[in-house]
Amino acid sequence: MTRSKLVIKNITRKKSRFLFTIFGIAVGIASLVTLLSLGAGLESEVRRQSEQLGAELVVTPKGWCAYEQISVLTGETLPEAIPNEDVEKVAGIKGITAIPYLVQRTALRNQPVPVVGILSTQMMKFKKWEIDKGEYLLDGGSVVTGFGIARQFELNVGDALTIRGAPFRLSGILKEKGNRDDLAIYMDLATAQRLYQVGDMVSFIAVKVDDITRIDGYSLEIQERANVAVVSDKQLVRSVLAIVGSVRNTLQLVAAVAILAACFGIINTMVTAIHERKREIGILQALGAGRETIFSLFLYESAFYGFLGGVIGIVGGVIFSYVAAPYITQNEFTAFLGSAQSVEVFNPDVVGKAMLFSLLVASLSGIYPAFQASRLSPVEAISYE
Amino acid sequence: MNDLIIRTEKLTKIYEDGYRTVALQDIDLTIARGSLSCIMGPSGHGKSTLLHLIGGLDRPTSGRVYLEDMDLTSVGSSKLAVLRCRRIGFVFQFFNLLPVLTVLENVEVSMMLAGVPQKEQRERAIEILRLVGLEEKCHVKPNQLSGGQRQRVAIARAMANNPDILLMDEPTGNLDSKSEQELLTHIHKVNQNGKTIVIVTHSQMVAAVAQRIFLIRDGRLENS
Ligand SMILES: Nc1ncnc2c1ncn2[C@@H]1O[C@H](COP(=O)(O)OP(=O)(O)O)[C@@H](O)[C@H]1O
Ligand SMILES: [Mg+2]
Repeated sequence: MTRSKLVIKNITRKKSRFLFTIFGIAVGIASLVTLLSLGAGLESEVRRQSEQLGAELVVTPKGWCAYEQISVLTGETLPEAIPNEDVEKVAGIKGITAIPYLVQRTALRNQPVPVVGILSTQMMKFKKWEIDKGEYLLDGGSVVTGFGIARQFELNVGDALTIRGAPFRLSGILKEKGNRDDLAIYMDLATAQRLYQVGDMVSFIAVKVDDITRIDGYSLEIQERANVAVVSDKQLVRSVLAIVGSVRNTLQLVAAVAILAACFGIINTMVTAIHERKREIGILQALGAGRETIFSLFLYESAFYGFLGGVIGIVGGVIFSYVAAPYITQNEFTAFLGSAQSVEVFNPDVVGKAMLFSLLVASLSGIYPAFQASRLSPVEAISYE
Repeated sequence: MNDLIIRTEKLTKIYEDGYRTVALQDIDLTIARGSLSCIMGPSGHGKSTLLHLIGGLDRPTSGRVYLEDMDLTSVGSSKLAVLRCRRIGFVFQFFNLLPVLTVLENVEVSMMLAGVPQKEQRERAIEILRLVGLEEKCHVKPNQLSGGQRQRVAIARAMANNPDILLMDEPTGNLDSKSEQELLTHIHKVNQNGKTIVIVTHSQMVAAVAQRIFLIRDGRLENS
């Protein structure tokens, strides 16, 4: 006989109570695991995405709210757009380079794929693109694709593509960039405007400034001259992080409430168990168990709840993240967040932390009941019943 | 054989929860090593209280208990636990056994508390259970045993750490006379092996084998 054997025999004697207590802590730990998995590389991922924008300022249609502005990063297509007259006004400002582009969508094999209408030479210079295969030719009948799209749909140079009912030839494939640029089809801006019947409208204007210290001045000047809104890359990051933060706060609250409830579950279970086993505690004391022994036996019991609940919670949390991921990524915004492994389904660091936390929380919950048990007077315990 | 193992001095226990109960008053007694003694008297007159004080399970309001030369009343609670573990064995009237454990494991538990290694626990538990005639019940849970069998397991467990003293509180109180006789045979055997035994009992059959009888009435020791 060992202490751990005694603990396990005692803890499993009331099956349903045992299961409910385990379930309580498992739910708490599962939500914690989900939270930590989601939280992991999220912030740095957002910053990386915005750096790839390559622009200090982005011109958007007037009156857009923060969530709409985020579509600059996510690639979501919104109906509002900027007319050419405003593009020209912005481009006319000294000290800045204005790069207008149009974001639309098409379907390849029934999957949505972004189509970006660009001014070909200007954009290539701005993005520092290089060609991987074929040639960089954009005209009324030719398009190029990012590396990721070519790989995903097994496209080769010379392939015929149908975009919005019109035939195109794939003239070239860009070198891999490791960002969203890999995941679009690029088309001449005028061709795209015609194909999608948007007149002379563009979605955004990316703006590079010559003198970064004057960025606020440029921003004001653009808004004075043209009927548009301007957002800086820093503001975009802030907006995204604010949304991410609110999601995390909600999850944190859920995890905190679940774990707190689990703690009370453990305390309740232990206090009840001690009450029921008063006589047995007395027997153990008569057999020579001192206060420390009684205390540690009951503390082990609650720690064991933490151990089992932790294991089940971690497995549950990992499964949940895995199962829920496709549903979450149906949303454009979260698809963007999920795009570069920012949601890590299995992370040893997270698992270790969650396990430790589970053991700690369960042990802390067990201290009070175990202390109560250890303070029982042997005679009182023996005479019970 | 004038060697004393237990001695009490003006042992008094007063309960004061709500109203005052004088459970024991000024008990002076001595118990010789290797003897078999009985404590008798009406219910509620302080017999169990006396047994608990002798065994270091409870503390007196005043007076002293000596185990050989050691004053138990001045010993700390963890030291007292160690003494109960190694030198004293208890058997109560009922609910002696831990219900989740098998007969064998119940005996092992007391050795576990004494820090005996697992392998040795098992060997010794089997050996002791053989002595009380229960070796074939090793893997049975207590609720599948008869009252007499349970008390025999309790005795086996109390003997596991080879204590000097065995204290029993109405061990045959729940048994029919055949089981009582059987249990008494085992108790007698244990006593023959040199253990000091103190039994609280109402049974004349038990009293008949005792070398000494203490009569407790209203918390006081009557001369007998
Ligand atoms: N924990 C306690 N609190 C208050 N009174 C108690 C307690 N234990 C025993 N008593 C009282 O002390 C007296 C002696 O009890 P006990 O030693 O159990 O008697 P016996 O074993 O002779 O039947 C009884 O009156 C009982 O009510
Ligand atoms: Mg009694």
